[in-house]
Amino acid sequence: MIINRNILYIAFRQLSHRRRQTLLTIGGIGISVMVLISAISLMDGLLQSFTNKIINSAPHIIVSGEKITNPVSDLLYKKDSSSTFIFYKNVERNDEDLIKNYARVENIIYTDPNIKLVSPVLSINVIAKFGIISQPMLVLGIIPKKADAITKFSESMTEGKFDELERSPDAIIIGSSAAKDFQVKVGDRINLVSNFGNTFAVNVVGIFSTGINDVDNNAYANLRLAQNIGNYLPNEVTQLYLRANNLDKISESAQTIKKNTNYDAKTWEENAASVISLYKTISSMIYFLVFFVLLVAGFGVANILITNVLEKYKDIAILKSFGYKNSEISAIYIIQGMMVAMLGALIGCLLGFIMIQILSSIPITPSQTSSVRSDHLEMGKSPYYFLLTSIFAMIVSFFASLGPSRSASKVNPVDILRGER
Amino acid sequence: MNDTIIEFRNVYKDLITQDNNEVIQTTILSDLNFKVQRGEFTSITGPSGSGKTTMLYLMGILDKPTKGTVVLDGQETTALSEEQLAVLRNDKLGFIFQFHFLLPEFSSLENVMMPMLARGKYTYAAAREAAKELLEQVEMGNKLNSKPNQLSGGQQQRVAIARALSNKPKVLLADEPTGNLDSKNSAIVFDLFKKLNEETNQTIIVVTHDEGFAHRTRRILHVIDGKIDYSTNI
Repeated sequence: MIINRNILYIAFRQLSHRRRQTLLTIGGIGISVMVLISAISLMDGLLQSFTNKIINSAPHIIVSGEKITNPVSDLLYKKDSSSTFIFYKNVERNDEDLIKNYARVENIIYTDPNIKLVSPVLSINVIAKFGIISQPMLVLGIIPKKADAITKFSESMTEGKFDELERSPDAIIIGSSAAKDFQVKVGDRINLVSNFGNTFAVNVVGIFSTGINDVDNNAYANLRLAQNIGNYLPNEVTQLYLRANNLDKISESAQTIKKNTNYDAKTWEENAASVISLYKTISSMIYFLVFFVLLVAGFGVANILITNVLEKYKDIAILKSFGYKNSEISAIYIIQGMMVAMLGALIGCLLGFIMIQILSSIPITPSQTSSVRSDHLEMGKSPYYFLLTSIFAMIVSFFASLGPSRSASKVNPVDILRGER
Repeated sequence: MNDTIIEFRNVYKDLITQDNNEVIQTTILSDLNFKVQRGEFTSITGPSGSGKTTMLYLMGILDKPTKGTVVLDGQETTALSEEQLAVLRNDKLGFIFQFHFLLPEFSSLENVMMPMLARGKYTYAAAREAAKELLEQVEMGNKLNSKPNQLSGGQQQRVAIARALSNKPKVLLADEPTGNLDSKNSAIVFDLFKKLNEETNQTIIVVTHDEGFAHRTRRILHVIDGKIDYSTNI
């Protein structure tokens, strides 16, 4: 089947003759393409900003004090020669989850060449008091230089200087969310009350904002201070934060660490698993909905094509009478479907581009409860959104035009020509 | 050289219809045998339902006989596929119907060009030139760019005639071409046909109810109940 130039011409002329109908259908496709592009951009942007922030400033692996123990088989019991019962001891030791002798554990961890940095962390729960405000707070004891290499506090300071933390033993830095709750500024003194009832006065030397709520809700102090407050030994920490060289190998590294140290090690993906899976569920639902929007636009295409065919039986009959083949007649309607889809996709891409610009400039109130805070919608930007959506629109249109074009090719010229009086 | 342009050999045509879940098979044409020679100006007459239009459509290979053979310009057409028939129609035939069937989105010129462009036999420029000449021949030279809805009934039919002639058909087949026209325009159409036949030896076959028209042609094939009742040369 050759699509000769005249077929294209006939297809085009028929469409342009029914201007309003054609424009409405093109508009329908354009709008659904725009909606699909915007949705993809929104979802992708969210995922990207989440991933970037986490990857840049979260630990790749967290080693925690949870010991991995293998269940011990307690009893072997044979009922008869064909079955064996094994019982586990149901009693466990109730130790606090601590990493003891963390320096030794660090050395073991460093034997894996993939591990770039180990930052020891001691998390303690305190009650913080400032003025009349008294509320629980999580204080993380860190070795400033090491922690900064991972979380990049020094780049996120909004007040004060990160270096000050090292300089005085009773200094703390507070995340912007926590600072807002207490209304503290640099230079204020806060009282921290430990689980044992002891009060420690600390100096606020800096306030930071990383955009990650898990970080900005807390305060960070020197490791030694935190150990004092929580009554821990100098060689005890609750976690080790690790950064790796090769992200693709962190699962392997985590396994190695579990094996070698008998402590639990979780990758950032495992820690973020629930957020990621929620995100995937939500984005699937959204894509599903938008897909249907595009499908509706496809129905619009099928509609005008069917109308065109039904109203053009006479034209189809006479074209066949003087030599157009059935395949060429059905090509006319497929071409019309494709023309409408292409123009619609073009307009949709333009509108989608504009919509992305508009959406990314909308300010939003940062939330303290989500994982990542931002003050505007993060929109993804990639030419693939436009390409894939356009192709998808053309595919939908193609299938929409199959039915009408088949009808057109089946028109029997004799029935039409002799029926017209 | 063989002068027979169309030949029917033992042609039968049945029509299958459904009437309240009953399938009815009616024989419209039975055992037709005749020849049409080049240069004939022939009318096919007969009462309504006699099968004359069916006969015309079989001549025009728009339809296939149930039995028998239709030979067009020496070629047997029974075994040809739909596509092959379409190409053959484009090459050898021109059709005029009671209704003009002009494409409403295109001008007179573009409508006349359509058959020439269908199978790529003419370039756009050549088709345009040829179409212009044809329209001038049917005295529509001043309406080249008019769309069909801007023309009168008689003018529309003349454009349709020009279109039917565009591929230089061996046979012009017309089904009640003056059925929608007043007497003045009917006369114009008849004169056109006569001129074409006399000046260019165009073979023309016309199905018509119009006795007057029929008697001014050169041969009448009178059809009753699907058979040729008589054939008269005038």
